[in-house]
Amino acid sequence: MLGSRTRVLLGAACAATTLGAQARPAVGGADVPVRRGIAIDRSVLPNGLTLQLVEDHSSQVVAVSLWFDVGSRDEVKGKTGFAHLFEHMMFQGSTNVKKGEHSQLIERAGGSDNANTQYDITRYYAVVPSNRINLVLWLEAERLRTLAVTPENLKNQIEAVKEERRLRVDNQPYGTAIWESTLAMSDPNTCFGYAHSLIGSMDDLNASSVDDVKAFFQRYYAPNNGTLTIVGDINKAEVKWLVSEYFGAIPRQPAPPRMTCEQKFNTGAIETKVNDDKATLPAVIVQYRVPATGHADTPALDLLTSILGAGESSRFNRILAREAKVALGSQLFLNPFGPRRGPGQWLALGIANQGVTPEALRDRMILEIEKVAKDGVTPAELERAKNQYRASKVNERQTAFSLTEVIQHATFYLGGPESVNTDLDRYAAVTMDDIKRVATAYFRRDNSQTITIVPGGK
Amino acid sequence: MRTIHMRVAAVGVGVLSTIAAVGALGGQQFPSAPPAPLAMRPAQFPPFQQAVLSNGMQLVVVSNARLPILSVSLAFKAGNFYEPAEKTGLADMVAALVTKGAGSRDAEAVAATIEGVGGTLLAAAGADFMTVDAGVLSENAPLAFELLADAVIRPAFAEKEIEIYRTQALSALQLEQSQADAIASRAFARELYGAHPYGRRPTEATVKGITRADLLAFQKAWLQPRGALLVLAGDITLARARTLAEAAFGKWTGAPSTMSVAAAPPRARTASEIVLVHRPGSVQSNIIVGNLTWPAGDPRHFASVIANKVLGAGTDGRLFVILREEKGWTYGSQSALTRYKGQGYFSATAEVRTEVTDSSLTEMLKQIRRIGTELVPQKEFTDAKSAYVGRFPRDIETAAQVAGQVTNARLLGLPANYVQTLGANLAAVTRTSAQAAARAAMRADQSLIVVVGDGTKLYDKLKAIAPVRIVRVDGQPMSADDLTVKAVALDLAMDRLVPRTDSLGVFVQGNAFGFQRGVLERSGDGWKYTDDTQLGPIIQQHTEVTFGADLAMRQVVQSGKAQGMEMKIDVAYGGGRAKGSATTPQPTGGVKTIQVDAELPAGAVDDNAVAALLPAFKWAAGAKFPVTVFQSGKGAPTTVTLSVTGEESVTVPAGTFAAWKIDMAGSEQPVQFWVEKAAPYRLLKIALVGQPVEMRRMK
Repeated sequence: MLGSRTRVLLGAACAATTLGAQARPAVGGADVPVRRGIAIDRSVLPNGLTLQLVEDHSSQVVAVSLWFDVGSRDEVKGKTGFAHLFEHMMFQGSTNVKKGEHSQLIERAGGSDNANTQYDITRYYAVVPSNRINLVLWLEAERLRTLAVTPENLKNQIEAVKEERRLRVDNQPYGTAIWESTLAMSDPNTCFGYAHSLIGSMDDLNASSVDDVKAFFQRYYAPNNGTLTIVGDINKAEVKWLVSEYFGAIPRQPAPPRMTCEQKFNTGAIETKVNDDKATLPAVIVQYRVPATGHADTPALDLLTSILGAGESSRFNRILAREAKVALGSQLFLNPFGPRRGPGQWLALGIANQGVTPEALRDRMILEIEKVAKDGVTPAELERAKNQYRASKVNERQTAFSLTEVIQHATFYLGGPESVNTDLDRYAAVTMDDIKRVATAYFRRDNSQTITIVPGGK
Repeated sequence: MRTIHMRVAAVGVGVLSTIAAVGALGGQQFPSAPPAPLAMRPAQFPPFQQAVLSNGMQLVVVSNARLPILSVSLAFKAGNFYEPAEKTGLADMVAALVTKGAGSRDAEAVAATIEGVGGTLLAAAGADFMTVDAGVLSENAPLAFELLADAVIRPAFAEKEIEIYRTQALSALQLEQSQADAIASRAFARELYGAHPYGRRPTEATVKGITRADLLAFQKAWLQPRGALLVLAGDITLARARTLAEAAFGKWTGAPSTMSVAAAPPRARTASEIVLVHRPGSVQSNIIVGNLTWPAGDPRHFASVIANKVLGAGTDGRLFVILREEKGWTYGSQSALTRYKGQGYFSATAEVRTEVTDSSLTEMLKQIRRIGTELVPQKEFTDAKSAYVGRFPRDIETAAQVAGQVTNARLLGLPANYVQTLGANLAAVTRTSAQAAARAAMRADQSLIVVVGDGTKLYDKLKAIAPVRIVRVDGQPMSADDLTVKAVALDLAMDRLVPRTDSLGVFVQGNAFGFQRGVLERSGDGWKYTDDTQLGPIIQQHTEVTFGADLAMRQVVQSGKAQGMEMKIDVAYGGGRAKGSATTPQPTGGVKTIQVDAELPAGAVDDNAVAALLPAFKWAAGAKFPVTVFQSGKGAPTTVTLSVTGEESVTVPAGTFAAWKIDMAGSEQPVQFWVEKAAPYRLLKIALVGQPVEMRRMK
């Protein structure tokens, strides 16, 4: 007789699944652009720190966002993982702040803070009630001035990074596939920056010395390599004064070297197979190379990603999940590890439904993706995607924090902070032909990688 | 340096028009301590306006034209509290389905419409209330009203959508049964509230029993305009809101049912009690300690919130700092106060390693006792208050947040100026009032303590802390004796055990789907039972179990594929132990590998071999046979019970036979067998309970 486990699997496999129905096109409002320019006060301190301020008294909140122009793309062979390790080190204390106290002080003030390492940048941000702006500025300047890069701190943060790696990559279903297998699309000889994992190699980290880490800090965490954006219930003059008081004495450093990435597209299809003993269901990732975030084709790609994958009325949900029932779920990403000033990555992740082989899922995913190059999309789909984008642009102005990040994004990737006021126009201008064109240009087999993930041991 | 800081603090947030270009501080002048807070203007909550519509709906409008966004929230007294006990989960189903087709639109059209304008539409049921929320750009206000009105006045409740939801809800319930924290929450609610509606959680039976008629009845009784609350926040005026509301809802009349809900008041404990939910083999324990508090509106609320912050909110709480940072017993421990319209509750939780369960529980009780008997030291107290008071502006930044705050306060029956005075009320809490509120709200010595974990390792240690009552995961009581899986001697008619072959066809929803063939043959001085199963493209499996003439298990080997994934079992039985490894399919899909090294109770049968022995049981009307089964795929024994529940004539491809109907209970997937009454007592049919799957004997 079937063992108890097999009976349960059989029962689950035979449970009813969703049935499909035809979708009707959305009826949207008039495509009236949102015209409410944000006034950004931009200045540069003598030591090179860029300061961008937006004064807005509609709430009593201030968001402070400090972006450094360094990410894993700046790491060289033998020294990977430093950018992310550094993010950890920034919370280990300095002359006047104990280990862990940075976040504790902010929380006790009624605020919250966090940090995040990406390929191109590393960011540190906090949101506080407006009368604690001075606390956040003091804390940020304090750790830049006297961060405690000691052997002990280094050692235990390497352990913390290992633990994080275990949690996010090794023990997470599909983690290895998402974080590592997708790297195969970048040439390690001509584009090492994007060809290695953000979290770095444990060997490199174990081999790193305090001097290596201090040198990294000095070079990249210099004021001339940082942009401080502050939005909310502030007085611009007072904030400028505080910033000057706290950050002004931090010395400028030589401009850091910039990584270059020469990456050919359309070099041939890559097929990868991965065994994953943490996954419970087979899955498929289909990846394509796309251009840099600031490229003229990004708005069309962004809208296409929405049409294919955003919401219940998206193609992947309607067709793959509800109608064909090959996918239990799916997620589509344009640059999941952060925007890039070099070639980017577009991914579709599909999880196989019960009784569906990964090959069947893969074929259906590629069929739906390639359909766009052949047949384009419908006017209703494009209008819906534009409406979703427009609504998200308005929504992101509701909180001080989302506005700091939008401004930082424009600063680093769209040519300057003032682009926040014109970005929407680029999206409004996308045509059906543009969608077809970008699908044809980038969603090609010879520009793709297909990763099949099968549960089970190696 | 000091002077400059004091000047800033004195002037506060204002224009310092006399600032000259000040040179940057030299390193030696950088302040060595964090600067003091600047002055803060009093928290400003936007003003709101109210009206009552002709049909009795209450309208509240919080206007803010800063951005062209509108958040609409429609709320009813229609939460789980109003469900009939045998239909627990009904309110959740109504909430899930009102946005899945209403008026002239089916589910897909509703999704396409709201997503088409970049908006959101979501309904949810809580303990007391049901809310339907829409978020749109303000130019789409009329559409938001249209969709909301359709959802609550004319929902379709299409059978197709009902079944989709039911399937998802049942899957989620099944998943919950494998998650210790969900098991703990469920047990805690049940034990704390007893028969009161707040203690109920949906079960497979209640979810399966909900019909379309039930959904309509619930809607008719509780989704009515009189007394409903419509809150709008964002870019809209009162006048326009009234116009749109009257247009969408004006013709809708009616009042909620006046039927009173039977809600037996839960009993407060006078002494602490531990309810131990036995989960064999668990390497961790989930602990919930708590007690009933008071209805929303109790004036001790603010002081209790601050006390709770000190005790267990976040990484600054005493529970976290002590149990995690100092002792390393847990990844996290926290406490919370839950507010209902009726009596709410306090709870403190931790997930800890089995070995430190009793120490952790003792420490948790100690800290709970402490917060009610000792004044919080000044600095710790100030930090807790400042964290709470300080975060208020962040909680009212967006239109949706504002709508939520207003809705919540109104529904709970809090004073009209509750939101505006929240900051001040929190600021007014003193160390004394916090201690008094804590003593009333957090009662370590009259608490309910739920521990989900391995009872065999926990029972004796927990008994030393408080009286212990043991239950199974499904809530059924257990005695301490039941904790050990006993050896059960198998009393079989051994002469019925002869070499044989059983060929069964597998049928899913009546369609042929595969086969299952079992062959029992002699092997040396004992037996070998070989099972070959093929279920469509999903499963191919080959299993061999060998056992002695005395039925002592020797070995089980299994190989196969499920959805292209390798499955494998290789377990050797001997010397009172089972040892080996198993890679098997999981209830939620996929495979998992475990090492097997467990005690094998005498008389245990490998679960793959039960079918081999079925002909030899002395079946008779009303007979019940407990069987110790070793689940080789799980690496643990369990006791199943084979009960004869009927006598039936059964027709299968092999013919028509008089059969015993046998229910097997006690394993994850309940099964029914039909065994031929007459010799040679053949296995005729197998059915998986709750699934449209049957195996039928072929010719």
